[in-house]
Amino acid sequence: MAKRDIPEINAGSMADIAFLLLIFFLVTTTMDRDQAYKRRIPKKIDVPQPPVEIQNRNIFSILANSAGEVYIEKRDGRIQNLDDLSDKVLEFYQKNEKLTPDEALVAAANPNHPGNNYPFYTWTDEEFIKGEILKAEEDLEKTENTENVDPAIVDFKAQILSKWMDKQKALEMYGKDYLPEIDYQAHCRITVQQATTYELFTKIHSELNEAIFQLRDEASKEIFNESYGVISRRFDNDQSREDADKLSLLKLLYPDNFIEVKPKR
Amino acid sequence: MSKFKKEGKKSAPGVNTSSLPDIVFMLLFFFMVATTTKEADPTVEVKIPSGVRATDMTPYKQRSEIDFAYLGVPRNKARAAEFDMGYALFLDNVEQPAPGELYNTNSIRKWKQDKYDEKRARVKKPISEVITCVKADKGAPTGIIFDMRTELQEIEALTIAYAVRDNSNI
Repeated sequence: MAKRDIPEINAGSMADIAFLLLIFFLVTTTMDRDQAYKRRIPKKIDVPQPPVEIQNRNIFSILANSAGEVYIEKRDGRIQNLDDLSDKVLEFYQKNEKLTPDEALVAAANPNHPGNNYPFYTWTDEEFIKGEILKAEEDLEKTENTENVDPAIVDFKAQILSKWMDKQKALEMYGKDYLPEIDYQAHCRITVQQATTYELFTKIHSELNEAIFQLRDEASKEIFNESYGVISRRFDNDQSREDADKLSLLKLLYPDNFIEVKPKR
Repeated sequence: MSKFKKEGKKSAPGVNTSSLPDIVFMLLFFFMVATTTKEADPTVEVKIPSGVRATDMTPYKQRSEIDFAYLGVPRNKARAAEFDMGYALFLDNVEQPAPGELYNTNSIRKWKQDKYDEKRARVKKPISEVITCVKADKGAPTGIIFDMRTELQEIEALTIAYAVRDNSNI
């Protein structure tokens, strides 16, 4: 057979097709990223329980009314400039951070101590954690071997064990003899009114996040020589085990316990 | 005389356009990758406030994992007057039909549960981990958001997010 030339495909209209697609995507694209403050809603309690007594020093209570005024209850009173709010939160976390447990005991007994109205830290050392792990393991085993046991209880015991395991890992990573932990009851509480604007509400959340970010960032730079933002963004991308442990240590050091109170009708 | 003698009129050479498709394709691919399709076009007007240090929602797989609830002033001004404070909810392409609706029929609870059932196969997470993102207008009353929280609490949808425009410099 005679050699035949393969006819070339005319690609002149390729650009037109590509343009058409391009314009379609140009028009439908929205470039804004969704950003938000993520919060947990507490579980509903079916059986009403007696309220737990919480010392005033462990509460950082922010009140925001419908007129746009913000108060910090039992602390600074009215806040004129909302940008100061994050500094107040920082103070709440850091006031007693450097006190040793013995100094904290003294401060707790003395109402005139400057740190008396702020949450105290406890130092957990390795021996204590190991002891708690042993206890939790035994307890879990005993519960598992009990007949007709509610799986929820086994779950609960397993959670306690894993909590102490996490702490052990965190302490190892922290690189000191002890792990400083803020009083487990310490929290920030936001109370709003029905007509408090969303803008003010998110501004308060913004200030809280700013404070927590600063605290964790400082700790992160000291321990890992890396900024908190870098670690958490990297974790978002590759979900690596190492970063997860780093983040959980920072979270242990500075927990973000926020309570949002439903306004009365 | 002059060294540079003017030559007769020369037609300008045609520009080679054979690389045009390449350029266009490059742009095309950029926009295809960067694109996130809008879930809904709300009929309520929402101007989101700004804040700092917000969590980026993009990692949640192209937003399909997140349920968005819009809270704003209805674009139809006549309807806006019907509501107490002038704010209406917009869920799933439907604007809140009547002021009392939100509380009477537990529409939020139903909405969230339906949405979760629909994507349960795709998203292997308990409902408590599926984010409900509230996009509210700057002036929206927080009371409505807390009513939503109570509704979500009933069905154990325990993760909520308050949308803001992040203006912190990263």
